[in-house]
Amino acid sequence: MSESENNHAGTSDPFEPLRAIRDKYLDAMAKSMVETVNSESYAQATGAMLEGYLTSTAPLREAMDKSMTQALQQMSLPSRQEVAALAERFTHVEMRLDDMDAKLDRIVQALRSEGHGASPEAEQAAAGGAAAEQEKKRTGPASRPGARGRLVRNRGAARKRS
Amino acid sequence: MDQVVAVDGVAGLAKRLQVFTRVVTTKAAIAQTPKQLVWALNKAKLYRYTPVLPAEKRYRIPLLLIFAIMNRPSILDLRPGHSFVEFMVSQGYDVYLLDWGVPGLEDKEMKLDDYAIEYLPRAIRKVKAMAGVEEFSLLGWCIGALLTTIYAALRSDEGLRNLLLLTAPLDFSNREGLTFARWTDERYFDVEKVLAAFGNMPGEMIDYGAKALKPVENYIGNYCKLWDNLDDPRVVESWQAMNTWVTDNVPLAGGAYRQLIVELYRKNRLMKNELMVRGERVDLGKIRANLLTVIAEADHITPPCQSESIMAKVGSQDKELYRIPGGHIGIMAGSAAPRTTWPHIERWLSARSR
Repeated sequence: MSESENNHAGTSDPFEPLRAIRDKYLDAMAKSMVETVNSESYAQATGAMLEGYLTSTAPLREAMDKSMTQALQQMSLPSRQEVAALAERFTHVEMRLDDMDAKLDRIVQALRSEGHGASPEAEQAAAGGAAAEQEKKRTGPASRPGARGRLVRNRGAARKRS
Repeated sequence: MDQVVAVDGVAGLAKRLQVFTRVVTTKAAIAQTPKQLVWALNKAKLYRYTPVLPAEKRYRIPLLLIFAIMNRPSILDLRPGHSFVEFMVSQGYDVYLLDWGVPGLEDKEMKLDDYAIEYLPRAIRKVKAMAGVEEFSLLGWCIGALLTTIYAALRSDEGLRNLLLLTAPLDFSNREGLTFARWTDERYFDVEKVLAAFGNMPGEMIDYGAKALKPVENYIGNYCKLWDNLDDPRVVESWQAMNTWVTDNVPLAGGAYRQLIVELYRKNRLMKNELMVRGERVDLGKIRANLLTVIAEADHITPPCQSESIMAKVGSQDKELYRIPGGHIGIMAGSAAPRTTWPHIERWLSARSR
């Protein structure tokens, strides 16, 4: 039996007789709630609640951030901001690579128009493969099939060298 | 006899509760159409869906799909047999999808500018290189339609042939008709304070905002619908797929959120041709691509008044406004979509994709 077939109950609903009353009640409640959330007073109330929450939690957030930064510093670990800054730099590097990729595409196109480029199918496969490889690098060695195998082989090579 | 009925009733109720809990708490397999990653930059990924028709039977002009930046684009490929992507691929389109990914703390300053004229043109370049053509079609949905509109106005000479805007939030002038505009009014809502606290706008808060527009339907009625249809596997399957998508929230990059609230919801700059993107003024009159605007008549997230007025502003000669009964998501992912919205989009695009 498939998952979707398994998902249905196949029993009668004991609340069936009450369904009409429930639906009528929900309809009335829905209309009234839509009016409520569309009102100026609702906007004012939710705004005040959010403001209160942000104001009351701000000192706690600041204290947490400060102590966390100090703790990470003592353990010689980078802070969240430092990791974020690093990630930003990675993005800039990626953009430079993308610019180079664009230039390469133009060169390939020019070569193709002169009659000695690779076939469009081969280029498409290469383009897709490059992006997939880039994605694998992002996800890290743990999620890469074969990464462990390479690591073991490298260790073996290191042992031989030593 | 009464005792037997009572025992049956309790057993039935227990079974229903068990199934209900399982459906609500587990994820369905969504976004199953075969695809290949062809480009990636930061969190953004461009996918090409594997064509099912031979090259000679396919349309020449590729189609790039752009969804909102605060939801997963898997809604366009919800489940096998009920997927817009699958439908378009089967009709012979070379379909690409740009997934914006999940912004991290390092992306908190990302603005609409970055999405519309940094990431999108790069992805388009890749689409054109892969397809080996200079022209392409863009389909933007929700905030994705806002981004594609900005792109189409600023980069009208880069080969955009067809522009499809689905439930596009572009005009914010009717403040009475926009609940979001009321909630985010500067008298009640301090956008800077929120972003100082969170960096990016948390996905849960955006989700709450969308659901709170119709709280009874979203928090109670939705579950009643599942309970009432537990015996119908088709409804259960569809409900679970939609729930899987709805509960997968994505934060909105802080810079983009600030622009959305301040420059659009509060000042309506895009429609006044006053929006500045990286120093360039977004002039909607510069949009020259063939234009199809799809409006959901019962849309409470992007009411029709937000998408209608662009028709008079664009410079396109070939333009059509298509109204369809249904809600913001329902017109593309609801049960009627394969009979209504999808074929209309396909027919419109078919005539303009050779």
